[in-house]
Amino acid sequence: MVEKELIEECRNGDLHNFRKVVEKSTPLIFTVAFRILGDEDAARDIVQDTMVVIWQKLGKIRTAESYKKWVYRIAVNKCYDQLRRKKKQKENRYDDQGWAVIANHLAEYGITELENKENAMIINLLTNQLSPRQKTVFVLSELEGMEAAEIVNITGMAKSVVKANLYYARKNIGSLLQKYL
Amino acid sequence: MKMTEENERYERIVNILRNSRPDLIKPDEIENEIIGRIQRKKIMNGRIPDFIEAIFSWVYIGWVRRSLIGISVVLILIFVYQQAFIFRQVKEISKQIVITGNESSAVSSPVLDKRLTLYKMSSRISPAGEIRISESQLEDLLDSYNELQVKYKDLMRILEENPDLKKSIEKKLKEEKNDKPEI
Repeated sequence: MVEKELIEECRNGDLHNFRKVVEKSTPLIFTVAFRILGDEDAARDIVQDTMVVIWQKLGKIRTAESYKKWVYRIAVNKCYDQLRRKKKQKENRYDDQGWAVIANHLAEYGITELENKENAMIINLLTNQLSPRQKTVFVLSELEGMEAAEIVNITGMAKSVVKANLYYARKNIGSLLQKYL
Repeated sequence: MKMTEENERYERIVNILRNSRPDLIKPDEIENEIIGRIQRKKIMNGRIPDFIEAIFSWVYIGWVRRSLIGISVVLILIFVYQQAFIFRQVKEISKQIVITGNESSAVSSPVLDKRLTLYKMSSRISPAGEIRISESQLEDLLDSYNELQVKYKDLMRILEENPDLKKSIEKKLKEEKNDKPEI
């Protein structure tokens, strides 16, 4: 991750060093944004917006640990906002081709790595019916492997809310898998 | 049995997604765009965005931040309007004569009329509605006016009692009038 010294140098307005920070941070932000939004272009926009905000908030970031927390917090909140805006446009239709792709992957031996397009399609199929909160908690917990306490720190939700949302997200995805596969 | 199968499917699909980290294509492009945006922001940013950032930096949710900024602007505008309104009212009031209850009962109406006339005259003389006469100056003016009136009455009484003096004064005034050049 990004070192404390590098952050301190950037705090003085050194854009050259900030480029290194951007280089190290973009994969992390892109991954989490891609998984929450299920859209490559939207994830790229989130990376840009997040890094611009990070540049503005460098004065408040003291340690490498707090940097990671800030990055996640800003990126996740931006994604959450976007999900809330998109909420009304959500489509509810059965995509037999998509479910066939999931079925193929489940039937394969071992774990296959997905391409961006396929990855986005599967995420969207599985999480389309989830609320923005459920989707965010599902991605952070199940895909990013975070503990409930970390999610609380990033999203500002209560621990009980995080657990409840994760429970309903799992239940919802489980019932989709049972219904279509 | 069914539950275990469902769990297995869930775990397997989650594992696939967990292990498939999306690829960021052309990261240089995104880096350049970020640095470019920061540079543009650096040039364009004045003190106001910094000020807003300092005040609302604790709000991360975009729409909440925008709403708070909007509400703040509306409140400031209301405050400014109110202040302007009050200031205008105060200015209007300062143009009017303030007569307290004791004064009004003590002053007789002809005196008050005179006072008002003098006050109006003074405001007409001053440019652009500016009133430069104070209450004490007005009192002095009124006193001297009364004194002058009393002296004038006395003078008239003396002249009535003494017709020779009246004639000589009239003659003197006539001569003075004749001496003045015609305009």
